[in-house]
Amino acid sequence: MTSADVEHTGGPACASAAGEQSWDAVFVEQFPRVYNFLRYRLGNEAIAEDLASRTFEKAWRDRQRYRRDLSKFSTWLLTIARNLAIDHRRTEHVHAPLDAALEAPAEGTPEKEAERRSNFARLSALLAELSDRERELLALKYGAGATNRAIADVTGLSESNVGTIVHRTVAALRSRW
Amino acid sequence: MQDEFMLTGLRKPRPELVRQVRVRLAEIEAGEHRTAVRRGVMSPPLRWAACAAAVLVLACAFALPSVRAAAQAFLDLFRVVNFAPVTVQTDRLRQLAERQGIDLPKMIGDRIEVVQAAGQPKIAPTLEAAGTLAGARVAVPTWRPVGLEPQRIEVSGTETLRITGNTASLQRLLDSLGIDDVSAPEWLDGKIVTAHVAPVVRIAYSDGNRHAMLIESRQPQVLLPPGADLAQLADIALRVLGVERDEAYRMAQSVDWRTTLIVPIPSDVSYFRQVDVQGNGGLLIGTVRTRGRQPSQVATQLLWSSGDRVFALVGNLRPDELFDMAQSVQ
Repeated sequence: MTSADVEHTGGPACASAAGEQSWDAVFVEQFPRVYNFLRYRLGNEAIAEDLASRTFEKAWRDRQRYRRDLSKFSTWLLTIARNLAIDHRRTEHVHAPLDAALEAPAEGTPEKEAERRSNFARLSALLAELSDRERELLALKYGAGATNRAIADVTGLSESNVGTIVHRTVAALRSRW
Repeated sequence: MQDEFMLTGLRKPRPELVRQVRVRLAEIEAGEHRTAVRRGVMSPPLRWAACAAAVLVLACAFALPSVRAAAQAFLDLFRVVNFAPVTVQTDRLRQLAERQGIDLPKMIGDRIEVVQAAGQPKIAPTLEAAGTLAGARVAVPTWRPVGLEPQRIEVSGTETLRITGNTASLQRLLDSLGIDDVSAPEWLDGKIVTAHVAPVVRIAYSDGNRHAMLIESRQPQVLLPPGADLAQLADIALRVLGVERDEAYRMAQSVDWRTTLIVPIPSDVSYFRQVDVQGNGGLLIGTVRTRGRQPSQVATQLLWSSGDRVFALVGNLRPDELFDMAQSVQ
């Protein structure tokens, strides 16, 4: 998985035939990004799974309301996920950023899984110290792999402002990594 | 900017989670259909007609050892890799059924000669026997819902058809449907298309209440006349199916018709979705009906191709069960 830009124009409502990206292709590509955005944003595996699932359920229910002239489909999905995360933060003030993540089933070899968990634990601890806005921007940038432009669309910040905050925050985290 | 460390926390979602979400989305879609039914959006006869048409169309793709099977294969064109679902208004399906049936090849050639007939399907006592009759190893699911056991294996024979193009016949059909912005191509007239359909194996499973059937065959072979303009034929076929002019043209020009099978889907089936089956493109279609006030799943159908083979799995199982069965076919 990379931090490749999220750039799509298709959506389920318009993916009715070959030649356009199918809903299944959208799902395969976007679900991991939404899921990782929520993991980075909330630091809790179980909640990220639940909200990622709810994001796609909501998108699927509202697919007829998606308007491609207003936003890219990936941006629309991230906006839904972001709003769910915000709602969750409003109602849940107690977080267990690491424990739940470490309880998730393993994937790959035990050594690689241990390394992955260790890395996420370190990263999650650093992210937990950031402000809400900084953490959200990094979650969109690195969890979802969104471009600065897409992040600006989702958050309402200017693209240059997004770039500045992300750069500054990552530089600070890197010095502590 | 050195930010690789920020990617070290990325993780793939658990396969089980992905599967659960897919099933949930399918359930939502089925629920939408049930809601529409409860609201009386669709009249029962129309709904049943649509469901029946969907089953018929899909069965035609692989199942029937008749002219229909090979005729449908006309659009297979050498190798089915992709499935292009095309939503068709039920009124249009009815129109086509009243005129020429929904076999697309009949639109372009009203003379279909059976060079080699498939004959009646033969019952095979074992998979090995079915493989011998079919001339190829028979693939089967290694996973089935508990209680679902094989009941019957049938094999239909090889069939070869020769279709002679008829421009006037096609033009008459276009005229009767009021399609006046495309014309039947002159080059089609008198040209021969030969379709060779390999033996089709059908394995029926049941536990008394739940049923499934795996249908499999080698890829059909189709010989086209030199200079055949597939995009033009596809454009006409899509128009006949009721696709809007601009959309039909765009699709006709952008799809590789040598690897893509058109699957007409009535506009009011419950749901359909392109899916991945063992790394291959597939199409999942579900129809739902109500029993009294209780909704119940009627039929789920999954089409996919793998290498030189094409498969269809149909039944009244849940979509996730059918999907898991398909994933285990080997």
